[in-house]
Amino acid sequence: MKLQEFTKGILRKNPVLGLVLGLCPTLAITTRVENALGMSLAFTFVIVLSNLLISLLKRFIPRDVRIPTFIVIIASFVTIVEMLIHGYSPSLYEQLGIFLPLITVNCIVLGRAEAFASKRPVSETLLDTLGMSVGFSLSILVISFLRELFGTGKIVVFGHQVIPGILSSPAVGMILPPGAFLVMGILLALMKKARVV
Amino acid sequence: MVGKEEVKPVAVLVITCLVWGALLGLTHSATEKRIEEAERAELYRTLSQIFPSAQFTEENGHYVCSENGVVVGYAVEVEERGYGGRMRVLVGMNPDGTVAGVRILSHGETPGLGAKVAEEDFLGQFRGKGLEGMALKKDGGEIEGVTGATISSRAVVRAVRSGLENLRGWAG
Repeated sequence: MKLQEFTKGILRKNPVLGLVLGLCPTLAITTRVENALGMSLAFTFVIVLSNLLISLLKRFIPRDVRIPTFIVIIASFVTIVEMLIHGYSPSLYEQLGIFLPLITVNCIVLGRAEAFASKRPVSETLLDTLGMSVGFSLSILVISFLRELFGTGKIVVFGHQVIPGILSSPAVGMILPPGAFLVMGILLALMKKARVV
Repeated sequence: MVGKEEVKPVAVLVITCLVWGALLGLTHSATEKRIEEAERAELYRTLSQIFPSAQFTEENGHYVCSENGVVVGYAVEVEERGYGGRMRVLVGMNPDGTVAGVRILSHGETPGLGAKVAEEDFLGQFRGKGLEGMALKKDGGEIEGVTGATISSRAVVRAVRSGLENLRGWAG
């Protein structure tokens, strides 16, 4: 077991702030910390299981058609999971339902399938995808925390006020799309400056 | 001559698609009923927020709400276009034709801004109102819109109007 396969995803090859992948869902859902929590859970579930599946099947997938095959496997798997959750756990679906279809097109999942799972053993794939999940979750939690705090003046998670209103006139732009680009840009610059990536 | 090397990728892709397509079909038919039931249960839960101790019966898209056999109101689901796409609004009406309550079933409005139309501060204003004055204050009515979210607020007002008109016509 190589522990670095796990740790690299957290900082050095952080999917959002290091590899700069999966920006579409990142920009779209980081308006609230609550959304980021839901997305983190759904993302971890999908990337770990679908990449394990691809790592198991890699011997049978011809090189020429590997990308379409990965996409068929990932998209079908996510859709099946979505239908099962919707039918058997409506309350969980209420929290995670809208994030699952977004993950189907999340390029981090396909990116890890192509760059890692299709070439490496199952145990390393597990470490790699878990590390990527931690890295992705940390990134979107930090971005959504900054956006919600400055955009609404407070942090509310599942109805609990974690940080009470500290700004009397919050900058609404922070929870609109421009705010996402601003926060992402500043964080990327800081990561580069600190030579983390 | 087509060699084995050319056929294999095509065959694998076709088989992958067939297998996953079949799995999708199986899951769909296994969960279809449960998903429908879950959505109905969700709708009834929302209905009981408007009419707390009522029983509901559905009659072609309208809901009759009754307590011990006495009709206490009617409800209908209305679709309207908001700022962020489709918005599903549940409108409840008292037997006298005024609004009993409004709930947003789903919407795609901006979080922290337009999404505030789904909160009680805004929706509570409709309770007890008829069609008179059913417009935003800036449009000459009596409803205070959500600041910075006029399009979302107008969409809800339109939905409540059309729901109320629909229910009045239907309940006679």
